[in-house]
Amino acid sequence: MTVWTSTDDGRADLSSHDAFTAGPPHNTFARMRRDDPLSWTEWDGGEGFWSVTRHADILAMNGNAKVFSSARGIRMEDQSYEEYLARRTFQETDAPEHMKTRIKVAKAFSKTVIAGFEEDIRALCDEILDQALPLGTFDATKEIARQLPMRMLGRIIGTPDEDLPWLVEKGDALIANTDPDFTDHVLDKMDTDEFRMMPFNSPAGAELYEYANDLMAKKAAAGDTEGVLHLILQPGRDGETISETEFRNFFCLLVAAGNDTTRYSIAAGIQAMCHQPELLGQMRSDEAVWETAPDEIIRWATPALYFRRTATEDFEMHGKTIREGDKVLLWFASGNRDDAAFDDPFRVNLHRTPNRHMSFGQGGPHVCLGMWLARLEVRVLFQELARRIKSIEPAGPHKFLRSNFVGGIKSLPVTVEMA
Amino acid sequence: MKVIWKLADGREISGEVANGLNMMEAAVANDVPHVVGECGGNLSCATCHVYVDEAWREKTGEAGDYEDAMLDVAEAERRPESRLSCQITASPELDGLVLIVPEP
Repeated sequence: MTVWTSTDDGRADLSSHDAFTAGPPHNTFARMRRDDPLSWTEWDGGEGFWSVTRHADILAMNGNAKVFSSARGIRMEDQSYEEYLARRTFQETDAPEHMKTRIKVAKAFSKTVIAGFEEDIRALCDEILDQALPLGTFDATKEIARQLPMRMLGRIIGTPDEDLPWLVEKGDALIANTDPDFTDHVLDKMDTDEFRMMPFNSPAGAELYEYANDLMAKKAAAGDTEGVLHLILQPGRDGETISETEFRNFFCLLVAAGNDTTRYSIAAGIQAMCHQPELLGQMRSDEAVWETAPDEIIRWATPALYFRRTATEDFEMHGKTIREGDKVLLWFASGNRDDAAFDDPFRVNLHRTPNRHMSFGQGGPHVCLGMWLARLEVRVLFQELARRIKSIEPAGPHKFLRSNFVGGIKSLPVTVEMA
Repeated sequence: MKVIWKLADGREISGEVANGLNMMEAAVANDVPHVVGECGGNLSCATCHVYVDEAWREKTGEAGDYEDAMLDVAEAERRPESRLSCQITASPELDGLVLIVPEP
């Protein structure tokens, strides 16, 4: 049994958020990989864009940052230079600027440093699962998947636990700015012009800016120099510091990107367990599975459906010409289901080796800073979940986020039986 | 050019590498374990960390500035002979290069 069967007619409009409300339109991606691997979409919300859907093409273009720049925006929407400067983070820069920022915080997210959080994460999983599982039937996104990354975020940026629900709500409003369940300012449905200098065109950006300022003022007053926020403010090797705007945008990036991506990886993993019952048995009986399972769950989830690049020069590919200035969308969601790169890509195979998935943007300079944290959270959460239950089943249909950018199951009713 | 990777378990892997390829790409092509290259050779991940054999240190040169910073991010212990293998490019004068792969 496949975990889900796409229902799109193979001609979904990738510019439309509504085309993603039943999950990514995988029939469309499959057709594009086969017949039209470099495909142009006209868009009434702005300039049209190219879509790249084959694993090998995405990998090559993601690694070719000289031609495919991040420094013009990373979502399909067009930004003026003024908006770009006001809203960018180091995600939206190229070398060498990107490296200057990245090296300040890279160590805080290194595999070795992150490994030190394992016991903390396990304790959080204990709390979360001991609360959720006795409910019997519940929304696994809300009660489990949303909880762990949210609480870890508090540890990483050093915020008090009581602030976390508010922070995560604002982070959701930013990154899920196209889903009416998460924001009152739905990006493509109303005039969000007054917020165009704010992250993700969202008024939540303004509130997060204010929160970041207050938080740093409090930390400074208390002489607190712990954590990643302090690191990012330190001068680089060249003595340069980042601007206040860049700092606040970095804060928004941590709150938004560092949070819902892991949430939706966990949700997708739980959904897979519901539809492939053998996965629970493998998790319960085979210790070796944990070497490979986190990456497979993260491949399956692909929370970042695409990232955009912008061509810095004309580029020939598949008999077509990408022109300088054209937007190019690298559809990781499609690359992760490409049967040229993965056997039986529509099945979760917890032993998959090698697993050259691209959920973290592997193969390019912007590879996810938080990938070791994401893998660790996913591993520990599923270890603890599998240990405690003997069955998990769907308790109703799940619902996807309304977004062509973030792939996520926003509600996931399940019934569990304790082991 | 020829490259030899020495693994922690005593095994050796050798491969012919075309000039211009970097040692991360070469290691991945030769299935050398523990050399991953998550960022595709862009100095963003430190998953291609190796130790350069003493005899080859002069010819492979010193780590650059960003590489030096990223070596602090590598999983295995940093040593004076540590390099990110994506920053070493195959060339005729490196023929016979010996790289030691750290055990994670």
